[in-house]
Amino acid sequence: MANVQTQFDTFHSDKKTGIRLGRFKKEKQLRDKRNVIRRRLKANLPGVFAKYGEPNLVPKFKDQGSYKMNTGIKPLAGGSGYDIDQGVYFETPKDGEGAYSPLTLKKRVEEALNGLTDTIRIRRPCVTVFYKENGVEEAYHVDLAIYSARGSNSDGKDYLAVGRVGDSLSEQEWKVSDPAGLQHELFRRFEDDTHGRQQFRRIMRFMKRWKDVNFSSAGNGAPRGIGLTLNAHYGFTPTYSDWLNRTRDDLGALRKLVDDMLSRFSHQYREKRQEWGRCLIAKLPVEPVSDVYENMTLVQMTSFETKLKDLKAALDAAHEESDPHEACKGLQKVFGSDFPVPAKSDTARKAAAGAASSGLSG
Amino acid sequence: MNEPEQQDLVFYRSGGGRVKVPAAVLSVMQSYAQHDPVATEAGGVMMGRYIASSNDVVIDVVTEPMPGDRRTRYSFYRDKRRHQAAMDAAWEASGHTCTYLGEWHTHPEERPTPSEIDIKGWNRRLCQDQFDEELFFLIIGTHEPRMWAAKSATTTWEPLKIKK
Ligand SMILES: [Mg+2]
Ligand SMILES: [Zn+2]
Repeated sequence: MANVQTQFDTFHSDKKTGIRLGRFKKEKQLRDKRNVIRRRLKANLPGVFAKYGEPNLVPKFKDQGSYKMNTGIKPLAGGSGYDIDQGVYFETPKDGEGAYSPLTLKKRVEEALNGLTDTIRIRRPCVTVFYKENGVEEAYHVDLAIYSARGSNSDGKDYLAVGRVGDSLSEQEWKVSDPAGLQHELFRRFEDDTHGRQQFRRIMRFMKRWKDVNFSSAGNGAPRGIGLTLNAHYGFTPTYSDWLNRTRDDLGALRKLVDDMLSRFSHQYREKRQEWGRCLIAKLPVEPVSDVYENMTLVQMTSFETKLKDLKAALDAAHEESDPHEACKGLQKVFGSDFPVPAKSDTARKAAAGAASSGLSG
Repeated sequence: MNEPEQQDLVFYRSGGGRVKVPAAVLSVMQSYAQHDPVATEAGGVMMGRYIASSNDVVIDVVTEPMPGDRRTRYSFYRDKRRHQAAMDAAWEASGHTCTYLGEWHTHPEERPTPSEIDIKGWNRRLCQDQFDEELFFLIIGTHEPRMWAAKSATTTWEPLKIKK
């Protein structure tokens, strides 16, 4: 087995060529914008609600998503850009007297942020504030997930406002959602296992970068990042080349995960799309216990499986290869140009040239 | 006639680890295989890397017959001067990692075995040549290549198994 852990470590780093988002530069910039948005909402929402003759609702904020879980990666150039996810919770019931429609509450938020940047859009799962940087229109963004908080609902659950302008009332919904519960489920097995938790995060970052490199960002042909995270939740096993010393073996961990994912592809009924077909399911371990891949078509599923098989072939070849230079060239094909390929001279120990005498062979 | 696409050749070492002969390097040697009934023997030296923190060896460079060498149907004499110059150049170009690993030559037989002259020559090299840890000898037969290895200060030649 070629030892390519050094290259995986470099690939994972938050240095220039690594994929990890730097906590102190990029993430600080996102945190700063998030704080501006929080202040702006607190300042402007009372006026907006008053304008519509509605009782004032004071938002509560919670971080969520890959920023909260510390699994963020740098976006590829030309991709959807950096982002941070922010939960915004309102004490208002999802149904019954005085309930907001999901879209109306999102419009109040949009209005309170009006003028903050050139582009604020209501998307189905969130309200998104886009930021320009170095002439790039939508260089990074803050996604605001708007909730009807559990304290206002008789079942004690948080509901996410889903729907955008143009959606009919039936397409809008208050969808039960529990990001904090999900994070707890994902990380609870690592409570006493720092090495395992760190490897889990690295593997998730590698899978997300693999996705960004191998699926065009247009449309929803790509498996969602949260789906890959769930696949890792079910298929990841901490893997070490030396268990006692916890010597990382990220290549081994990736091989196990991808093998597990491929083994779970099967012919099954897909409830949301009401069709039978070969697919992989990524079921949320918390409410609403749905399949986060439910919107992918069977054609997209086939392409997902094919690309996973290519990934498996590259991982297996790297495992078989004795020359780290060649192994990393193969890994670069699936993980993209940020995966480092060591020069041949950096893969070997130094040695004398040697001297060969003349001689006869028969 | 098109040769089938060459694949890497990987030999297992008994103490763990492998010796890889990349396809491109193998095809240089295979081009001298004595398929033709009048083809003469050919050979050269093998150089490559000891991969760090592993027991793996990769053959990166082989020299080919050069002026000064003598080739007959059943023997090959390699004159050291030009081959040594090629070795020194490869070593410099590799940041001092590409080192002398042994020798290759062809045999006009399907599944080659070392001749008495071969064994004598190999044993002499183990005493006289300057090398790192061990020497490898590859014989290109007309059906298959075979490799043997020995550590310095021994004369025990271990046949290496090909990884299928
Ligand atoms: Mg987001
Ligand atoms: Zn011979």
